[in-house]
Amino acid sequence: MITSIAWKNVWRNKTRSLTVIAAVTVGVFAGVFAMAAINSSIVQRIDAAVNEELAHIQVNHKEFRSSSDIQNVIQDPSTVISVLEKTPGVTDITGRVIVAGIASTSAGSAGVEITGIDIQKELEMFTLSQRLITGTGSYFGADTKLNSAFIGEKLAKELYIIRYILTPEAFQSLESKGVATSVIEKLKPLEGERFTTEKKLTAAYTGLLSPREIKMYGMNIKEAAWSYREGSRIILTFLDVNGHQTGGAFRISGIFRTNNDLFESMSLFVPEDELRRLTGLEEGHYHRVIARLEDDDLTNSVTPVVREALPGLEVMSWKEIQTDLAMITDYINQIYAIFMVIILAALAFGIVNTMLMSVLERTRELGMLSAIGMNRRRIFVMIMLESIFLSTVGGFAGMAVSAVVIAITGHTGINLSKYSEGMEAFGYSAHLFPTIGADFFIILTVLIVITGILSAIYPARKALQLNPVEALRGE
Amino acid sequence: MKVVEINDVFRTYHDTEVEVKAVNGVTLSFEKGDFAVIVGPSGSGKTTLLNLIGGLDQPTGGEIIVAGHRLSELRPSELIDFRMEHVGFVFQSYNLIPVLTAEENVGFILSLQKWPKEKRKARTQEMLSAVGLSDRHKSRPSQLSGGQQQRVAVARALAARPEFILADEPTANLDSKSAETLLDIMVKLNKDEKMTFIFSTHDIRVMKRARRVITLEDGRVVSDEKVNHR
Ligand SMILES: Nc1ncnc2c1ncn2[C@@H]1O[C@H](COP(=O)(O)OP(=O)(O)OP(=O)(O)O)[C@@H](O)[C@H]1O
Ligand SMILES: [Mg+2]
Repeated sequence: MITSIAWKNVWRNKTRSLTVIAAVTVGVFAGVFAMAAINSSIVQRIDAAVNEELAHIQVNHKEFRSSSDIQNVIQDPSTVISVLEKTPGVTDITGRVIVAGIASTSAGSAGVEITGIDIQKELEMFTLSQRLITGTGSYFGADTKLNSAFIGEKLAKELYIIRYILTPEAFQSLESKGVATSVIEKLKPLEGERFTTEKKLTAAYTGLLSPREIKMYGMNIKEAAWSYREGSRIILTFLDVNGHQTGGAFRISGIFRTNNDLFESMSLFVPEDELRRLTGLEEGHYHRVIARLEDDDLTNSVTPVVREALPGLEVMSWKEIQTDLAMITDYINQIYAIFMVIILAALAFGIVNTMLMSVLERTRELGMLSAIGMNRRRIFVMIMLESIFLSTVGGFAGMAVSAVVIAITGHTGINLSKYSEGMEAFGYSAHLFPTIGADFFIILTVLIVITGILSAIYPARKALQLNPVEALRGE
Repeated sequence: MKVVEINDVFRTYHDTEVEVKAVNGVTLSFEKGDFAVIVGPSGSGKTTLLNLIGGLDQPTGGEIIVAGHRLSELRPSELIDFRMEHVGFVFQSYNLIPVLTAEENVGFILSLQKWPKEKRKARTQEMLSAVGLSDRHKSRPSQLSGGQQQRVAVARALAARPEFILADEPTANLDSKSAETLLDIMVKLNKDEKMTFIFSTHDIRVMKRARRVITLEDGRVVSDEKVNHR
């Protein structure tokens, strides 16, 4: 009965109630959507860390990570593999041969981590192959020779494998991207010229274009001029098992682009067998064995189990390797909840105000209710329910709108790359796919109800201070 | 049987500089089945006295006993429950909950008293037909005339079978026809249900129908007369 009266009371002054409900709806939507957008980059980073670089669990020789000596191989890899195979939740396992070395071309050189991989297995376990830049070849295609390497774009730039040339095709692509003809005309003098770095290209066109044009079209120009000669070769130099310097020439099979600059500039993948042949490392010996789990949520529970079973080795989850990311994932809901608390606190003022007006204009009625025997607890509950209805109707509407908008934009994505050049340097993608965990909505529901309850306290106390005799007499 | 006993009751207000003795030494009692009206000039203390009897206010002196309860001994929260259980109120206006239908208003106290749904429904219908509003059970107060609203208030006051009904100027806002209808209903309920009614009024029409007329002046009872109707 009291619940139904409270509900009906909410709709006595429709305009006023709808105003406050709309405010809550908009506030909750704005908050949730903003969080989902921020969450997008975090989820993408985690996704990239797990699916492109690390997998869930890594097993290393105890010393390998501190000194990447080729001798620090896992002594008994078959035990490691059988332990992992028997661990519930583990879905895929592969071993890696890893050596530190130097990559060089005639134009430049860079320190790299050369990873020898079982190509078939890695294709099943990782999505790095999807990061291939179109037109740069393939991820170890069918006709791949043993001495092929899959390298990051950053590394390719350091080695001057990538150049910038404004070819006739480049001008065509600029035209098709809608770059103004006047700008294209101004760039004509640069046609055919080779620039070994992005910087040099930028310096060249800066003299020809206005700052506004540079800001608008700089990215397009770089993209169009970007050029790579397929089948370029690099020389890899490293030590073999006996400590002698060795190496070989590798043909680049493809170039990948990720959001993680460090990974992109350091990592270089080659077929495991070729690396074994060059280093003399025995078949079956690995520096690292990595495993994927059914679900990322299992990481925290499965890792200790594996560690327990492999006492002599270093067992680490991706969260222990990427501690900053792990911290974010473990506390992300709390962090979002704090932001929502701030938003809801602001909305609470609106609810308090509305409830206060509603109580004060019902003085006589509340006096009458108390006179005929509605006790203080019931009056308190009635006012509180009215306030909770205001907050939850608005809150649920806000959550529903958010869910729909997140579902749509999470599918289509939001492209911010025009506005945010610096983001990718930190491993964040400028292409957002808003997403938020279902459990966040549960936390939010609780927060919204609490907002309703807290907003009711002051107005409800005002209602209880009414003396029925005076309330009924009042003019 | 005595329903209400008032022994040398005072109610003094100190709100202003002057002390107002709104009820100044009243001793009265009401019997079950009374149909009593309290009259007197404006400011003579009628409302104050009714509030004291109904447990809406506490006397500054003397004692009021209702259905065996000494009201001065009840804590504020107990007074609210006392009102819900023992007293039916009909006010001059603002009697009803605007968002509820006539039927729901009549059943309101029954639901506060946690009557089972079936019984509540039956009693509500009985009361609505007693006040002649069976056909308006789905109407909201705003859809009813002033007289009809007062009849719903009477039905609500009576539904939970209180010890007595207090009505402070129930006809003050009504035209004569509505007032007569309301009075007819109350007289009939007084007879049929043996319900005790205690009114205050300025209304001659109400006085004419009363079987007992108590006159107040400056907070004192100046006369208390039984009236016999033919
Ligand atoms: N809360 C209060 N504070 C101060 N004085 C009060 C208060 N309530 C009533 N009084 C005074 O007590 C006296 C009795 O008032 P009461 O309302 O009981 O009169 P009444 O007989 O009901 O008058 P009316 O016929 O106009 O309704 C009046 O002088 C009034 O001014
Ligand atoms: Mg009065």
